Amino acid sequence: MTTAAVQPALALEGPPDPELVRIRDLVYREAGIFHPENKLRLLSDRCGRRMKELKTPTLREYFKCLTANAVRGELVALLNEITIGETCFFRNQPQLDALRQIVIPKLLQAKSHLPLRRLRIWSAGCSTGEEPYTLSMLMLEEAHGRLRDWTVEILATDLNERSLEHAKNALYGTYSTRNLNPHYRQKYFTQIAEQLQVQAPVHNSISFSRLNLSDDGRMAFMKGLDVIFCCNVLIYFDLTSKRRVIQHFYNNLLPHGYLFMGHSESLYGVSDDFRLIHLPGATGYIKGERSPAGK
Amino acid sequence: MNTAATKASLLSRVGGLQQIPTIPAVLAPLLRYLQQPVEQLDVQKVTALIAQDKSLAVQCLQMANSPLFGRWKKIDSLRGAILGLGFHRVSDIAMSCGLLNMMPKECDGLDPVALWEHSLGCALVCRHFARLISYPDPSKAYLAGLLHDIGIIVNLWVFPKEFHAAYDLARAQGIPLHEAEQSVLGFTHCDSGRLLAEKWELSPDLREVVSHHHMLQESLEHAGLVALVELSDLLCRVSGLNYGYIENREVNLLEQKGFAVLSQQCQGLKDFDWARLTFELDSYMDEVQSLVRTIYRT
Repeated sequence: MTTAAVQPALALEGPPDPELVRIRDLVYREAGIFHPENKLRLLSDRCGRRMKELKTPTLREYFKCLTANAVRGELVALLNEITIGETCFFRNQPQLDALRQIVIPKLLQAKSHLPLRRLRIWSAGCSTGEEPYTLSMLMLEEAHGRLRDWTVEILATDLNERSLEHAKNALYGTYSTRNLNPHYRQKYFTQIAEQLQVQAPVHNSISFSRLNLSDDGRMAFMKGLDVIFCCNVLIYFDLTSKRRVIQHFYNNLLPHGYLFMGHSESLYGVSDDFRLIHLPGATGYIKGERSPAGK
Repeated sequence: MNTAATKASLLSRVGGLQQIPTIPAVLAPLLRYLQQPVEQLDVQKVTALIAQDKSLAVQCLQMANSPLFGRWKKIDSLRGAILGLGFHRVSDIAMSCGLLNMMPKECDGLDPVALWEHSLGCALVCRHFARLISYPDPSKAYLAGLLHDIGIIVNLWVFPKEFHAAYDLARAQGIPLHEAEQSVLGFTHCDSGRLLAEKWELSPDLREVVSHHHMLQESLEHAGLVALVELSDLLCRVSGLNYGYIENREVNLLEQKGFAVLSQQCQGLKDFDWARLTFELDSYMDEVQSLVRTIYRT
């Protein structure tokens, strides 16, 4: 086997390699996930892994691989590298803090005049379940406080049956649980050998089901939602499919509902119906008034 | 403590007090030059001025070597900095260091460095944002961002205890600092900044920025620049380039008055990618913090 002399994609002792910046911009344009300057090293490492696999010696040639493939094959492979290991409990703490401290109180206030005291949260693309369980624990923490007398329903969907099976089994290893603080670990988990089992009360508010976000028929039935989490899922969709899913999300959400995406994931160029909002250390989207032209 | 009479009396106390910072000898001509068209600048004269102040010169070199100022090759002299970065950029740097030196080293237990990190961060964001939306004068935007909170310098020197109480209140409740100042002091850093801006004879546009960046509706002639600073300031305060605490609220930049004002002047704001700008701020944070702490220790 001949080993191609793979360049270190980036040694950030100097200005960013223009080829890496080109790849960064391509990834942002195509997938909506942005790597600022201080995260370029991460992108560089991920490109490096793919370049090694493909025996592609330079970033310039790797850029060609990314753009030459009409079916986005290499882009998907790179996105897999970028998001690898991101699934864990409490993945984005500022986002979760903002949900608990700002978004939930605002939703409760907006719904205070309604007879049905119910919140519906959807984890769209829940993978192996860490996200919905995290949301459930957060809501349980509020059960005797803000959410007293409220019912919380968490819908958790994914396309992949095996991921859903894993989620329902609710048994997790050290990598997934690395961000768990002792409070949550002791209160909501049981140690089983080397793994942690999510306890029943955390399950109770969650319903897991298989759903393809591209299935227009079924998407139309997801109604009355207050918050949607869809993190690192739409990056794999092409622009047309992404727009269709976002259009569904808009219809699925109640007025003033919220959409949260992955860290550094953007809806720019995808939808004018959602408004970017800034929360402490996090961003999210809020359902805006639709323009008369229905843009 | 909120009556107009109290506010007037406190502000007169500011005006009369000796503690109100005078602009350092090096910065006065720099500031004058920076407010002029670049072709009128006397490079030799200002370089000699900066070089006279050894500590300032060292700080300038530290900052000039930061990637924040776009330089990756080591710079080891002021002359090299001017050749590599350009005179205007070096003047920006000298002004930034000079202002940091005006912060009291100790302020009733309050660490003033975080407040200055916000000013430097805001200056960088103002310049970057100005470029992205094709605002006509990004250098002026940098200076405006750097100076917008000079009222805090006044409050730190003249009312350290009261300002500390206001800061604690803002931090505990996650509210904007100017709201806490209004509640504790009866006036804000915009009011005290206005006095300092007059004393320093800042140009009218910078005076408006200092006085009205939290009250854009009162801005008269230079609302565009004030709006640019208002939006950049807000973006910094809800991100990591804040005053050392994060405001606990939801912000929609498109609903800010500054957005409406600036949109009329800058076509670049139409379809602007706010998400990308927000993510880009991430890359400033660590650099700004480590740079400021290094310079502050010098």
